[in-house]
Amino acid sequence: MTEIAVSVKNLTVAYNNAPVIQNLNVDIKKGSRTAIVGPNGAGKSTLIKTIMKLIKPVAGQSFIGGSEAKSALKTVAYVPQKGEVNWDFPATVFDVVLMGRYVHKGLFKRPNQTDKNIALSALDTMKMTAYKDHQISELSGGQRQRVFLARAIAHNASIYIMDEPLQGIDITTEALIIKTMKQLQSEGKTFLVVHHNLTTVPEYFNDVILLNKEIITSGPVADVWTEGNINAAYQEKGDKEWTS
Amino acid sequence: MDILTSYSFLVVALGTVILAAAAGIIGSVSVLKGQSLIGDAVGHATFPGVVLAFMLTGVMETSILIIGAVSLGIIAFLLINMMTERSKISLDSALAIVLSGFFGLGMALKSYIQGNPNFNGTQGIDDFIFGQAAYILKSDVYLISLISVISLILFLIFYQQIKIYVFDPVYARTIGINVKLINVLILIMTILLIAAGLKSVGAVLIVNILIAPAVIGMLWSNKFSSVLAVAACAGALSAFSGTYISTALTGIATGPAIILSLSICVIISMLAAPKGIVLKKYRMKKLGESL
Repeated sequence: MTEIAVSVKNLTVAYNNAPVIQNLNVDIKKGSRTAIVGPNGAGKSTLIKTIMKLIKPVAGQSFIGGSEAKSALKTVAYVPQKGEVNWDFPATVFDVVLMGRYVHKGLFKRPNQTDKNIALSALDTMKMTAYKDHQISELSGGQRQRVFLARAIAHNASIYIMDEPLQGIDITTEALIIKTMKQLQSEGKTFLVVHHNLTTVPEYFNDVILLNKEIITSGPVADVWTEGNINAAYQEKGDKEWTS
Repeated sequence: MDILTSYSFLVVALGTVILAAAAGIIGSVSVLKGQSLIGDAVGHATFPGVVLAFMLTGVMETSILIIGAVSLGIIAFLLINMMTERSKISLDSALAIVLSGFFGLGMALKSYIQGNPNFNGTQGIDDFIFGQAAYILKSDVYLISLISVISLILFLIFYQQIKIYVFDPVYARTIGINVKLINVLILIMTILLIAAGLKSVGAVLIVNILIAPAVIGMLWSNKFSSVLAVAACAGALSAFSGTYISTALTGIATGPAIILSLSICVIISMLAAPKGIVLKKYRMKKLGESL
């Protein structure tokens, strides 16, 4: 039996009495690259934010490695959408990546040389070493995304949850992120990624969850990535949103 | 030169310097979070607290008046939150309403007691509007130092958490940082420092010692820790020169003198700092020539 990294059971989340996602049941396999795909307003971000315990569900539960506890989140690195951070903050690229080590330090321990080396090596993986002393506000969209992925790598998590990491970035960064994802997957890491470009799903991911307020289907891309299923997710509400 | 060696001046200057250094550091969190004006509203709101505390107790004791100041500061903060969350009032309107409403209440209460034979010894109240360091007692300096040192120790303990939270609040929550606790801590430290500084800087101008040092720091550095160091130094330096000016020239209140010193530092930094106007223009010009 395959091990489960993340699982949600009977999950319902609502904003202002209107359910955004309803009665979701899904398992994300350990060591998979799983995409969450669906039209605008399908509840993709809501689903991962609920898994990250940033939003409280109306009903149901979410589990990380079988545990419902908040502390289990320490094994998860979350890469948020770009708009969610304070870009005016006086921090260098290196500072931001070093923040990924905090989760292993606690209140009284400062980052030591080992932490700094881990952060440097994460920067190297994302080919951002040359920018290490740059102010984060000076970076382009693609470079910012690389820094966030470097922070997640420095976190040394076993599960990576990312909210549209490929939105509005350059092709080189996109290729680098996918390459890194595949590399980390070969080391046993799990990826759960909100993804908006339908054409690249089979190339980038091996599992997919088709979501439109409820699970339309989920499973290996080879089995469930069919035109019929995609149409079921996108056409049901008359909201066809193909991106080339 | 006499002033610089005078014991009473040194005591007072020590108080304002410690206060401004601590306020520069703690205040930078509000600046970076884009909440500078909340400090202004809370600062003004502490004034009626001072008057009410005096009316209730009848003593002009700083430690008692501070309790009144802190209470009303907290009430003002909660009111601003309630107004913006529960009604459609925007943050800037809520701040304006609370700031002027509370300060107006303070002024009304002050006028009432100052013309009232039931209240004696009300002259000191005026010092809390613009600040008068000359009347600061040794016990006041102890109180300022105590509050400043406690605030700084708390800030140091939670430094990493505060840094991550201010930069990326969502990530902070996902790695188990207690965001609510951090928010409450920053609020309490800010209100305590405001209350501690009332007698020397005054309710009207106190926000400046929380905001201006951080603005100066951000013009000089790209690194959070250096921004804090510059902010603390700029605050301390301005507090010292402001206290000196107001001691040397009778008739100038300490608050305005400190704020004037800080404003000069802001202007110099805006022009000459690495991120200031002059160097930016120079860099652009050089870039243009090299093309």
